[in-house]
Amino acid sequence: MLGPRLLRGYGFTVAGIAIGVAGLTALGGMSERIVRFIEGGDRFVLGQISVAGRGLGMGTGFTAGGLLPASAIRAIADVPGVAGVQPQVMLPLNPTTSQFMTLTQELVLGLDLSVPIPNRHYPTLPVRTGRFLSGGDRHVAVVGAAFASSRGLDVGARLTLEGETYEIVGVLDRTLTAPDRFVIVSIADARTQWVAKDPMLRTVLASGAVPVRAEDLNTGAAVGWRTGEDPDVVARRIAERVAGVNVQIPSELSRQLRASTVFFSALLTGIAALGLVIGGLSVANTIAAAVFERIRDFGVKRALGATDAQLGREVLTESLAVTLSGGVTGIVIAIALGRGIDLWISRGQQLFLFSARLLAGALIFAGLLGAVAALYATLRVVRLSPAEAIRRGA
Amino acid sequence: MLRARGLVKTYRAPAGPRIPVLDGVDVDVKAGELVVVAGASGSGKSTLLNLLGLLEDADAGLLNLLGLLEDADAGDVWFADEHVSALGRSARSGARGRFVGFVFQSFLLLPSLTALDNVVLAARYVGRSGPETRRRARELLEELGVAERREHYPPQLSGGEQQRVAFCRAVLNDPPLLLADEPTGNLDDANAHVIAGALRRRAAAGGAVVVVTHRPEAFVPATAVFRIENGRLEGYPLKKEVAP
Repeated sequence: MLGPRLLRGYGFTVAGIAIGVAGLTALGGMSERIVRFIEGGDRFVLGQISVAGRGLGMGTGFTAGGLLPASAIRAIADVPGVAGVQPQVMLPLNPTTSQFMTLTQELVLGLDLSVPIPNRHYPTLPVRTGRFLSGGDRHVAVVGAAFASSRGLDVGARLTLEGETYEIVGVLDRTLTAPDRFVIVSIADARTQWVAKDPMLRTVLASGAVPVRAEDLNTGAAVGWRTGEDPDVVARRIAERVAGVNVQIPSELSRQLRASTVFFSALLTGIAALGLVIGGLSVANTIAAAVFERIRDFGVKRALGATDAQLGREVLTESLAVTLSGGVTGIVIAIALGRGIDLWISRGQQLFLFSARLLAGALIFAGLLGAVAALYATLRVVRLSPAEAIRRGA
Repeated sequence: MLRARGLVKTYRAPAGPRIPVLDGVDVDVKAGELVVVAGASGSGKSTLLNLLGLLEDADAGLLNLLGLLEDADAGDVWFADEHVSALGRSARSGARGRFVGFVFQSFLLLPSLTALDNVVLAARYVGRSGPETRRRARELLEELGVAERREHYPPQLSGGEQQRVAFCRAVLNDPPLLLADEPTGNLDDANAHVIAGALRRRAAAGGAVVVVTHRPEAFVPATAVFRIENGRLEGYPLKKEVAP
């Protein structure tokens, strides 16, 4: 039990350690957030085969290409090893160059709910409040947690998309990856929005030059594979047997995704290293200074008969109590700071993730470093004679 | 009880040769004696007390707490010179805790502990703790007239009160040897009188007491008073029963 008596006189020390641990935890929280985002994306692309029509346009989400007509979707479904094909329409909510294809891009995802979601890692999207879409839904939407939070939306609220009003029937749990910024609607509604957003598509459709039906308006499809099949093999089989499609090989896409996030990986490594250095130095310096500050007390205790071992045990106990108190305080400060920033500055986006492993790691790191610093300082102190310790501390 | 022979101590100046402080000091103190060592500032009084109390090592010389350390774990132990090596750091700490009590000029109470806890601290390192020790500590505080301040912290106490608490800490373990370094140096006359009286009573009760001070008159009558000059004790062997 860390009694107040044990910590008496250590107020500034606890505060110093709290600042160090708060810095370490906050930087670690940002790092964890980026890791979760990358891991979430990786998990998504490894859970399905993403297919788009061959072409250069409509690059959104994990697909890039042209129209994927209904005939191609039927052909994909006939490929051996394929377990299910879900036509999708994925559109940028705000198709400006400043947001297009960025990590914080808000997307409209239209799903054909007559087909189960084939993604093996996300067979359902977790709903926090309300419900998910069901077949036959029109003009209703399910929104991601960050999207809802940034706009203050909840179940029952209305959302206007391309001049049409949608009722929000569900809000997803926070996933810390792409779906947090999704607006999910039926594929029919998404097709309507696509036509409304894209003047060129309207022109093509109005010209009648190309025979396009509503079911042909798909930006891509999520493809599942049968149990026991190698998804990469199935993906290559689709590419061989179905003409006019772009097929993403799951493992290659995962590699590409990780390669494209090399910058973020380096950034988070730097952040973590910075956090460890800043937090570690702060903790070690504060504890060592606290021990050296008490050099006179140690001299007195040795005059009273304290052995090196007794003194060492006392210092370690005190430093552990002080470090843990400072650590817990620092963690509370970091979490409060992170929550404040997430709520007020980033408009509902979550910039920090304070995972259990991060918090435990920060506390253990601080405790170990505090103990090592205390041990080092104690060894320095006990080398002095009691008289010298008393003189120096006077 | 305490015998020291030929204690030598020098300090190295930051730049320059070693400066001799004690140059072959001999001391004998028996149970029931109050010995006062007087001298000017910087004469080596405190250094002598530190050597006698094992707070630092002599460069040379022999020191023995006769009849006491023979019972200690380390056996018949001599201090300083080659004999000091026979006593490890841990054994020296144990000897300090069991056989020596200290009263310092600047009290040296721990500011994070209450007056009572400061007194009880002396028992912690000699393996004595519990309600009996706390009861004895309260008795001592009562005897010295500071019982009502036992839950106060040192910064909340006057200098006189702090020294009374420090005296209680020094005698809690009932050590046979009590060493006091300018115990009245920071006190007014009334408090100085209280502390000097407590030291005298300690000697009268059979303890060996050594006081170093630049005001020896505050501690007479004493068993002996001698002066330290040029690194040596003048007047040794001691004149007995020095009257005011």
